[in-house]
Amino acid sequence: MAGKKNNELGVLRPYDFVKPSVKISYALLIAFLVLALLVALMPFVWVMLAGFKDQREFIRGLRHALPEGGVRYIPRLLPEVFLLERYIKTWNDTRFYRYYLNSLIVVAGSVISALVFNGLLAYGLAQLKPKGHKLVLGLIMGSMMLPATTSLAPLFVNINRIGLSGTFWPLWLGVGASAFYVILYKNFFEALPDSVMESARLDGCGNLALFFRIVFPLSMPINMVIIIYAINGTWSDFLLPYLVLNNAKWPGGAPMETVMVRLFSYQSSNQATDIDIIRAIVFSIIPPILLFILFQRRITENIVASGIKG
Amino acid sequence: MNHTGWGARPTRDGSWHRLKKDLGAWLIMLPGLALFTFFVWLPLLSAIRMSFYKTEGMRITEFVGTYNYAFILYKDPDFWRAVQNTFMYTLWSLLIGFVVPMALAVMVHETRRGKSLFRTGLYLPNIMPALATIFLWKFLFRADGSGGVNMLFQQLGFAPTSWLSNASLVIPVIVVIMTWKGAGATMLIYLAGLQSINQEIYEAAIIDGAGVWGRIKHITIPQMYNLGRTLLILQVIAVFQILYEPMVLTGGGPNNASVSLMQLVYRHAFEYGDYSKASSISVLVSLVLIALTLVYNSISRPKEV
Amino acid sequence: MKKLLALLLTLTLLLGTASALAANLTLGIYPPDTDAVAKEVHDTSYIPAFKVALPDVELVPANYIYSGETFTALAESGKVPTIFETWYTEPQKLIKNKQVADITDQLTELGWLDKINPSIRALLSDENGRVYGIPRDGYALGLMLNAEVFADAGLVDENGIPLFPKTWDELIEAGKVIKEKTGSAALCLLAQDNAGGWHFSNIAWTFGAKLQHKDEADKWQAQLNTPEVVAAMTMVQTLAKKGLLTSDPTSENWGTGFAALGTGSAAMYIAANDAVMQPTQNNGLPVDKLMMVGMPAGSDRSYSLSGGTPYMFSANATPEEIMAALKYVEIMGKAPVLTEASKAGLVADAEYRVDAGIPVIPNFPVWTDEEFNAAQAEVVAKYSNVDARMFQNYFDTVKSEGNLRMEEPMETQVMYAELTKVLQEVVTNPEANIQALLDTADANFQTVLDENINK
Repeated sequence: MAGKKNNELGVLRPYDFVKPSVKISYALLIAFLVLALLVALMPFVWVMLAGFKDQREFIRGLRHALPEGGVRYIPRLLPEVFLLERYIKTWNDTRFYRYYLNSLIVVAGSVISALVFNGLLAYGLAQLKPKGHKLVLGLIMGSMMLPATTSLAPLFVNINRIGLSGTFWPLWLGVGASAFYVILYKNFFEALPDSVMESARLDGCGNLALFFRIVFPLSMPINMVIIIYAINGTWSDFLLPYLVLNNAKWPGGAPMETVMVRLFSYQSSNQATDIDIIRAIVFSIIPPILLFILFQRRITENIVASGIKG
Repeated sequence: MNHTGWGARPTRDGSWHRLKKDLGAWLIMLPGLALFTFFVWLPLLSAIRMSFYKTEGMRITEFVGTYNYAFILYKDPDFWRAVQNTFMYTLWSLLIGFVVPMALAVMVHETRRGKSLFRTGLYLPNIMPALATIFLWKFLFRADGSGGVNMLFQQLGFAPTSWLSNASLVIPVIVVIMTWKGAGATMLIYLAGLQSINQEIYEAAIIDGAGVWGRIKHITIPQMYNLGRTLLILQVIAVFQILYEPMVLTGGGPNNASVSLMQLVYRHAFEYGDYSKASSISVLVSLVLIALTLVYNSISRPKEV
Repeated sequence: MKKLLALLLTLTLLLGTASALAANLTLGIYPPDTDAVAKEVHDTSYIPAFKVALPDVELVPANYIYSGETFTALAESGKVPTIFETWYTEPQKLIKNKQVADITDQLTELGWLDKINPSIRALLSDENGRVYGIPRDGYALGLMLNAEVFADAGLVDENGIPLFPKTWDELIEAGKVIKEKTGSAALCLLAQDNAGGWHFSNIAWTFGAKLQHKDEADKWQAQLNTPEVVAAMTMVQTLAKKGLLTSDPTSENWGTGFAALGTGSAAMYIAANDAVMQPTQNNGLPVDKLMMVGMPAGSDRSYSLSGGTPYMFSANATPEEIMAALKYVEIMGKAPVLTEASKAGLVADAEYRVDAGIPVIPNFPVWTDEEFNAAQAEVVAKYSNVDARMFQNYFDTVKSEGNLRMEEPMETQVMYAELTKVLQEVVTNPEANIQALLDTADANFQTVLDENINK
């Protein structure tokens, strides 16, 4: 623990900075990083500014008369006027709150499913280890590397066959079969102290009770990791949700599409102008940004803790 | 379930007990296994099966042997172009996508002030949903003056460029977009690797008179080597499956210059409605990915754990 | 046990009440809830009229937007709305896959069958002449002009009417002036998706091309590399080389084309009369600044690709449900029947267009019922919100003898895809070898014809 602060040190040491060459390199390094930071952040600024323009200003720019006659339209970064009403109008016209609500429902169900199904499976693999569990583990690991899109078509066929198309079920339950989450859980459960398990077992807990009363509460750190991943992953997912939900309707006739499905349909169905899409992009990134602000430390640490996949 | 009460037949107690315990364990795992079967394993098997059949709509009609494969390999006008492009994506992602996060990590690691600002800021693009990222960059790379990148170009005095419709630029541009989104997360992993380097090694090297460059060359780089190797293979596997970016940004154009293998799968299945040909391409891609995964395992296994 | 019985009883009752209603009409053509104006027309005018006409039918408004990717799935799970609108390119595919209902008997009963414009009827029929859909609107491609840009470029007559091009050469000349005076592109050419090939096939016709034909042995032959097609493609290349197209045609599709025209970043765009709401209502072009003229002529003459946006019906709709759906169409004023209700439908539609800033222009005659067409013309004249001169040339051209042509019939989407690839190369690469590219496209297309048609 004492060395932790130390680890923040890089190659360069304070006394290296007596050399002018090191000083210059360091200045260049900072300049480069500032540039990189601008590249990382400017698109956010650009899209938010662009959303204040109207369709014509966005596509064509502002009108300028040429001294020699004729006109030019010149686009620029800043909108002519800042009218928040324009965002609000798109929000209302497209009834975007509905898509938020649908996304929220999908996210909530998916989080529960991610925790319960993957957790139970990993608990079996890590602690109970019945005969044959190695085979299951192998199958799970094996499927991890194959792209989900490979089997998208047959999966979609099967979803239709059992009549789950047009419902949220495939989206909720699909998250319950995540090799990545199973592995995360399994690694965590294996590290739980045996003594806890034993004493719980002596108390007469059945496996299921043991999991929900003891293991699950003890696993809050990894639960949080999976919750955050599941929220972000589900919010962003669009291909299967698009196939399953496009044109699906609530009983009252309101669409069941999620935010991302809506965004994806914009691209094929010519239902929205460019500027509406720009504003929809802004709407779609606000929740992840809020999530990030709330859990910033946790998220950046998780990436590292959970290793590779992000 | 209280196990202590069992034991009527002492000779078989062990196995009976074991069997019952296993049964309980399997029951616990059953829901998860059912989901894996439905969402992962069964679709994989049906993809393989479908690839040997003709389909009508979503129904399998007649067994055609390797006909679909032969069609894809010899007659499909887009397949070999997609293979070539997929390798180009991989190559460019090694040139751009692999180096950038590593370099960023090394640099951020050296900063003496504002480290968390850089770390958070560079990571921020990663939280953007993939689709929003692609749409956003589609607008940024628009060919006229309304695109953000061309706006900047014109400010700097250059003529606006058609980024995504230039056959030789389109793949590198798409890789840049992927890097913009992904580099921050990979950087954090490298950064963690750098922070785990034992400081005493540096101290010792300094006492031995190693200069700044010497320390980088002999300590930092070797330390990152193992991590880099693992991340490299994972990146190759991920880029090999590229689909959303060309699908939304270019539709695979201009003239197939950016079409990817997974995009062909999507086209055959959901645009032409030919699920059997889509499946046969999926199977071919999966074979390549399995091979890559085997390479990955053979490289990473001895080092880990 | 009692509970179970009670449950069963309730279930039977529920089922009983459900089947007491004669039919269930799922109305896929109900507008999306983002289009408040159109929705109001349905809610306050069409639906009440329908409930009076057919009180026994359970009407479920359920806006459906056709999606090629998921229609098959929808059809297999039996969830296609009773009546829905699809694209001009889809009927043949849907008929072949048995995913839509045969409505010949219902149309015969209503006496509508022989009133469908014969060329449009062919699009909606199978090889035995059974009919599977009715046209909502007919369309014919022409050239849309942004009159504001023409005014900025000084290309207007003394009345402020744009001086429009009648040939592709004139279009190039006008384009140079527009480019110089306004910086706008002359033409928004599509090269992103199949719509590119769709527009191009019309351009190629004006140079005398015929893109496919059936030979003596009854085999279909691709003709994508003839001198006429090369000439048309060379004209496109000239437009690109002279910088007269929008900056990136490979990212232009049907929708962005209207955005370019409506906002004036392009002065002209190939489009049809049934899409006049696109540049105006959706992209802000004032209703009186839209002009439409006939397709420019190439080395041959002007042709206009024509077709119809079809209404089609779920394959598992019952005859009663189909009849109910047709009744709704009649109430909307989209059928060849002149009743008080359908007259009111025509008026409601015209009023909607005036409110929404969409040009009220004569419809394309999809029905041959003269009485109905006369009534329609009357409504259009009464509610007209545009200067007739702005649409004069378009209607003159499409009415001229031999101007209208239907799409090429076989594997049309594949043909468009191949042509689009060539377009992409031609507009992005000034050195592109047109003949070689078209030879490849021709060979690729022939492979598909042989694989799927010439068995």
